[in-house]
Amino acid sequence: MKYTVVVGEHTVQVDVQGDAVSVDGAPIQARLASVPRTPLRQLALDGRARTFAMLRAEDGWLVQVAGEVWSVSVVDERTQQLRELTGQGKRGTGGGVIKAPMPGLVLRVEVEPGMRVEPGAGVVVLEAMKMENEIKSPTGGVVRSVRVVAGQAVEKGVVLVEIIEEA
Amino acid sequence: MLNRVLVANRGEIALRIVRACHEEGIEAVAVYSEADRIAPHVKAADAAVELGPPPAKDSYLNVERILAAAQRTGADAIHPGYGFLAERAHFAEAVEQAGLVFVGPPSSAIRMMGEKTEARRRMAAAGVPIVPGTTELLRDADAAVEAARGVGYPVLLKAAAGGGGKGMRVARTPDEVRKGFGQASSEATTAFGDGSVYLEKFVERPRHIEIQVLADSFGAVTHFGERECSIQRRHQKLVEETPSPAVDAGLRAAMGDAAVRAAQSVGYVSAGTVEFLLDPSGTFYFLEMNTRLQVEHPITELVYGVDIVREQLRIAAGERLDLPVEPRVPRGHAIECRITAEDPFANFLPVTGRILHFQAPTGPGVRWDGGIETGSEVGLFYDSLLGKLIVWGEDRERAVRRMRRALAELLVVGLSTSQPFHSRVMRDETFLSGEYDIGFLERVGDALLERTLSPSDVEEIAVAAALAEDEARSANVSLATGEGTETAADSAWLRAARRAGLRWR
Repeated sequence: MKYTVVVGEHTVQVDVQGDAVSVDGAPIQARLASVPRTPLRQLALDGRARTFAMLRAEDGWLVQVAGEVWSVSVVDERTQQLRELTGQGKRGTGGGVIKAPMPGLVLRVEVEPGMRVEPGAGVVVLEAMKMENEIKSPTGGVVRSVRVVAGQAVEKGVVLVEIIEEA
Repeated sequence: MLNRVLVANRGEIALRIVRACHEEGIEAVAVYSEADRIAPHVKAADAAVELGPPPAKDSYLNVERILAAAQRTGADAIHPGYGFLAERAHFAEAVEQAGLVFVGPPSSAIRMMGEKTEARRRMAAAGVPIVPGTTELLRDADAAVEAARGVGYPVLLKAAAGGGGKGMRVARTPDEVRKGFGQASSEATTAFGDGSVYLEKFVERPRHIEIQVLADSFGAVTHFGERECSIQRRHQKLVEETPSPAVDAGLRAAMGDAAVRAAQSVGYVSAGTVEFLLDPSGTFYFLEMNTRLQVEHPITELVYGVDIVREQLRIAAGERLDLPVEPRVPRGHAIECRITAEDPFANFLPVTGRILHFQAPTGPGVRWDGGIETGSEVGLFYDSLLGKLIVWGEDRERAVRRMRRALAELLVVGLSTSQPFHSRVMRDETFLSGEYDIGFLERVGDALLERTLSPSDVEEIAVAAALAEDEARSANVSLATGEGTETAADSAWLRAARRAGLRWR
């Protein structure tokens, strides 16, 4: 499976197909062994050996290196695609329009014109394939206009909300 | 001769004292709160008495219960460790009155050193240098200028009722003294309703250096050199080393003499520590005396080949100091890092939780004085100190290298500790140069605690996380045997959906 791994500010694509592992497309030799009844894992990577303490976390793993804990997000390809569609995992400023990533029914509108939104704040809840999808603002700013109402069916690509940069 | 010693403490220091007792053929009695029922110091002792609920006032600070525990277990002495009741004169007195031996100084010495103005007066009388200043309040700006001439610039104008930095002014010239006097006085009037101001010498960029003393009950007092304790955060020591890079044999002898005089002037007995401020010119001033065993005592033990807790027990048993003659010369170099349950990346906020895995560093020249093990629960009731990592090396550079190696071996999994802070200090140029003072953390702290990863770190962590994730997922699939892979796939997919913030209606 292909994983998008985020460590601190770094994003790394790791593809794991059985014993075959590649990092950002480049094949490497990698093996991970668990030390029984401990949270310790030993990594052998292209001849380098490291021991990490690893704990399962909400969205991936907590990896402790020399006493320092890094929260590492590990997301598979499919989830990553879903996230990109729903605007999660992106941060920025500058405003813009938020479009429906898929056809669906507007269940709720969570913002009003003039409202300030933070990056990642939910703006519209769209029902598609029997699931509720919260569409999030990829940027921070002020809501300039809301183009849809609850109960409205929308096609993919329809503008839902317009955000402008804060003055 | 002592037979049974009750250790009125917990954590690493209780374990340290239990160990010393056992090495001397003395039985140790532990006391503990409900929170510490299975703590290492309890398991190590020969007998143990539960004191009460976790809050210290109901357990480790409860004099009556501790004395009752000593009586019940037939202990003939009580060792207070540090903190808790160690420097409460009334406790030492109560122990003495109960007919037990207090492993520490007489209550009178604790009392005399505990009152700071009284201590200052006594030290001056005993010829121990104190920060020069006025003991009387200043009438006006002219009187302040006059006093400043007497103590020498720079000076610190302080509100008598002050605290928290309010009503304090540093002045380097007579003009600044006049201005500062007015400002400090009006600020103090506003803040405390009392405009009285006094003045003392301002010690610039001081180091915090302390001298270890030992005294027996026959009047013999001796010292074991200095400990450099300038790496601090809000008066909390983080790293200690000995010898101090700023102290040579001459200064050591002078500070040692002053410390011995300080101890003699209050009739001191047992182990004690005299703290000084040392300015860049090599002038030192008495700060206070800690009338107890000090947290950082092990570094002195390593370079002087002395067991301070053993000496405390022997002195308490009425034996004479029996140590090689002075002057003593420190052998090699020792460093201590205090490993605390604090997150250095979150302003050293205390953290709590269970220690899921613990492994102490070992190997040549390494000592771990700890009070934790795998499974220990770290709560907010007590001090955040988990243990002390102490190393010895032939010289300072080798001690630093050894500390880096030992820090890399230390494994405390499950909660954040000060460990990464120490690893950084051991690589910091200012620390390595030895040219530092108590402003170290203020000046370099932020840069020191930047979180960075090398490209190989990133790759290794990312691959380990992806492999662990992949393994966890295939384990889930194989667990679903009998229900068919579809169910397993469903559930994996569900999890993915949940992570993406999607919900079933």
